[in-house]
Amino acid sequence: MSKGDNSSLKDKVGGFMSEVKTHWKTPAEGKYVPYKEYKDVVIGVGANYAGSKTLEYIGFWSSCFLIMHHYRLPYLTFSVIGLLNMPLGYISALIWWYVCDNLGFLPKKKERLVYLSYGLMMAFGISTLLFDYSTLFDQSGSFITILNSFEGMNATACFKTFGTHFLYTGWVGARNIFWRKKLIPKYGRYKYSLYCDVIPKCVMVILIGWLPVYNIDDVATRVWVANLLFATFNVFGFGNVLEQCTKLISPNLQERILVRSYPIKISHIFNSILAIILPVIVGMLKDEWADINFYRWVIPVTFCVSAAFTMGLAGRIKERIPQPPIEKKVQIKFWDGMFGVLKNKYLLINTIVGLIDSLGNGMLPFATILYFYTFRLSGLPYSLIVALISFAGTPPDLLSPYFLKRFSYKQIMIFYQLSRAIGNVIIAVSMVLLRDNLALCGTICIVVLFFMEMTKTVPTTAGHDMGIRIGDYQMYLSGERLESFAGIFGWFTGPITTFVGLIIPIFLLKYGFNSNWEILFFDGSRTNIIIVPLIVDAIGFFLMTIPYLFWDYDNRKQNLVMEVLKRRAEVTEKKAEEEGVSVSGGYKG
Amino acid sequence: MSKKEKKKVLDWQDDVELDIPEDEIWTYQVPGLAAPHINKPHKYFLLKKIVFVIVIIVAVSLSIYFSVLALQNDTFEYTETAQGIELTKFSNTGYLYELDIDYELNIEYIAGNNDPKTNFKVVKDTTKPITSVRQFALNCDDKIKTIRIGETVEFVDTKAFYSCWALQNIEVDENNPNYCDVDGVLYNKDKTEVLCYPCDHDEYLRQKYGYEKELYTDEITPEYERDIQTYVVPSTVVKIDEMCFNYANLRVIYLPEGLKTIETLSVFKLHEKKDEWGTTPSLKAIYTYKADDVADSHLTDVKALGEIYNSLPEGLEYIGSDAFSYNTALTYLYIPESVSYIGHHAFWDTVYKDGDQLKGVTEIHVAVDEDTFENDLEVGDDWKPKYDFLLFKKAVDVVYSAERVKE
Repeated sequence: MSKGDNSSLKDKVGGFMSEVKTHWKTPAEGKYVPYKEYKDVVIGVGANYAGSKTLEYIGFWSSCFLIMHHYRLPYLTFSVIGLLNMPLGYISALIWWYVCDNLGFLPKKKERLVYLSYGLMMAFGISTLLFDYSTLFDQSGSFITILNSFEGMNATACFKTFGTHFLYTGWVGARNIFWRKKLIPKYGRYKYSLYCDVIPKCVMVILIGWLPVYNIDDVATRVWVANLLFATFNVFGFGNVLEQCTKLISPNLQERILVRSYPIKISHIFNSILAIILPVIVGMLKDEWADINFYRWVIPVTFCVSAAFTMGLAGRIKERIPQPPIEKKVQIKFWDGMFGVLKNKYLLINTIVGLIDSLGNGMLPFATILYFYTFRLSGLPYSLIVALISFAGTPPDLLSPYFLKRFSYKQIMIFYQLSRAIGNVIIAVSMVLLRDNLALCGTICIVVLFFMEMTKTVPTTAGHDMGIRIGDYQMYLSGERLESFAGIFGWFTGPITTFVGLIIPIFLLKYGFNSNWEILFFDGSRTNIIIVPLIVDAIGFFLMTIPYLFWDYDNRKQNLVMEVLKRRAEVTEKKAEEEGVSVSGGYKG
Repeated sequence: MSKKEKKKVLDWQDDVELDIPEDEIWTYQVPGLAAPHINKPHKYFLLKKIVFVIVIIVAVSLSIYFSVLALQNDTFEYTETAQGIELTKFSNTGYLYELDIDYELNIEYIAGNNDPKTNFKVVKDTTKPITSVRQFALNCDDKIKTIRIGETVEFVDTKAFYSCWALQNIEVDENNPNYCDVDGVLYNKDKTEVLCYPCDHDEYLRQKYGYEKELYTDEITPEYERDIQTYVVPSTVVKIDEMCFNYANLRVIYLPEGLKTIETLSVFKLHEKKDEWGTTPSLKAIYTYKADDVADSHLTDVKALGEIYNSLPEGLEYIGSDAFSYNTALTYLYIPESVSYIGHHAFWDTVYKDGDQLKGVTEIHVAVDEDTFENDLEVGDDWKPKYDFLLFKKAVDVVYSAERVKE
């Protein structure tokens, strides 16, 4: 490096430092985010993300170790519960979308009607827990016979599970209106939920480990009681909402990507550190992952600390989406919402991609099987390998702004799907050919996983960015982002994906996979359980390249859309001022 | 990079400015994109709504129907094969405690009876004899206590009754030409292979030998250990099949000297109840006996077994993968000269650290010298047990050219 290069680098660093100092509290011209907020994003999102990832250790799903080891629930039972919840899910979704996309602000008459519906749902739900409705039916009739035939269930458990979903839906729905109205004007559309949910969530995290529900002898009773417990747990959210908030941190496209690529990426280090520490702690526990103390002490302490940091920083991260004030926003009627999202071509393309992706639904977590059942990893070696693979995506992600400039979204996504397909095929082939050679086969798998992780982060960033742009485009089309009404696509595809997603679980059962994961120690079963879903998934990835060929939403169109949104915000706020109306929650950009 | 793509990259930097009149803010259409539709009436609104609702109802109804079909399990599932009828899957109604595998079965419900425990009967179709039982036909069932195998059954997969936690005994029709049972444990007819020692066979033995309840680790007496937790594999047996003894409550197993093969996961994770809530590894010792006329699996008289020595039998050739995994109560292992194959993780997690002290199988004794072992034996990865060592794992030492320790 020549002297000139050295001084040029020094100048650049000095210039950057001076820029940071100058704009620590006030953003540079054309930008919206001061550097101080970058720091808040690092810590706040880091804690929020780490907390939400910690919660992934506890969930009512088959891949949760707490559920499968301590609760010992049959694998197919989760599909049965999904099916039982499906009808109400459809009905309640209609109300939910309407409420959410109007940010909780409904005409008085409709609000009373919605509250009444939720109240009735809760009353019915509670009654199913108190009484056994199955006794009202002919026990030898075909209806009860079908309910009794469901894996891990009986008619009583089916009714109680059904009722639990009513209770859950009513409870969550009523809270949704109440807290949105109260908190959105002050905290914005994403992070408001933290303020009403964080304390009950902490309590539930503690209760999940300490309530001895898993000691109930009868499996059907265990299923419905566990379902009730986890439904209550899920009433209170702790999603990664601060990161969601940062997606709308600036109307400036470049600034959005910068925040996404640097402070957000750095913030994820907290979780990476936890991902190393937690398994080491687990390794020190007497029964390792099977030790209930993990759920009684380690998870609650980790979560509560993360939650405290999140709440400390949440107020400092701002949402800057060009939008009219809440008092002047477009009131979304039900059918406008429905037809509005159907008009969005890019949502349609994403839906087709999702539909094809459902080919892999029900697949067991391949990497987890590899770590635990092929390599028998635990403690530090496990942490190191997981950290190594997780880290693989970090360097490319830091270059995301470059890749997003250099390549179009279409190119990035087609590359992404092809890399997944090829990776899956290599893993499947190596497992077939090197069946007994665990060391070589495992090394190949780890290298491929590393490569797949490396090639995942840029498309993920591109996908997130495009998701926000699609929201902006929807706002241009319909006057609101209609993120909830976009769920209508799930109505068309959800049941089909559920059905397709049952194919792999049934196949897994054939090779011995059920509530006892230790069948995965058996080479013959493990190989079949991994390989066939991998190949099905690979076919899906190849097919998923096709819809992206029709993607044509580019930067120019996005910039124009943002101009329209800014103009709308500007004009509506000006008019409100002229009318003397006091306004809140708007942003002109 | 095509010209078009280059243009797109440049677009990133474009400063665009639109001069939209105030009255057009909700209608202004960006070139190349669809026009906004805000607070405007829809064309063909009623028709659109009707089509929309019909499509949704049909899609949702069909999908729910298919999902129900896919999830609903028949209690008994059979498949016609070239050899006859195969039992492929059994899904318990929740109230079936015994299962006959001889003829096709069906559930018939009794009209008017509202008690789910008694409102059905199992009906046999004697024109359809069962000839085989597929792998994992019973999987993680926690109700069935007794399985009866009929005379027509020609083949039972060794993994047919996997993780049947309540299974106490398997009875085989004495006229079956292919299989038999020895006091509730499944064997092939000439008793050269032991196929399945039921997970809850100890409960059957407790009833047989008059023990009122299961004893916890600290309460176990020598008599209880002998009657309930000791198993003598008959002298005719040359092979212990896959998953045969997995999850059994056994402390001592006597193996015949003629045994050649111990298959994959065959002595996996044996355990007993430590207290009301937990279990602990139970298998403490494996012995080999020399007598060649032992048929009784109950240890009535140790003298009847002839000369006895510690650990695996001379003559043993094959130890499958995970054959002895998770048996940390085991303390001594000797691999005889005759062994030519040891599967991966064969003795996984049979050692552990208790404070500073190593417990379990702290070293493995091998009859042959190191060169012979390296050159003549085929061994799988991680066949030796490992323990926690400075945050990593370390394999136990192997003592080559070792003499068998006498009890």
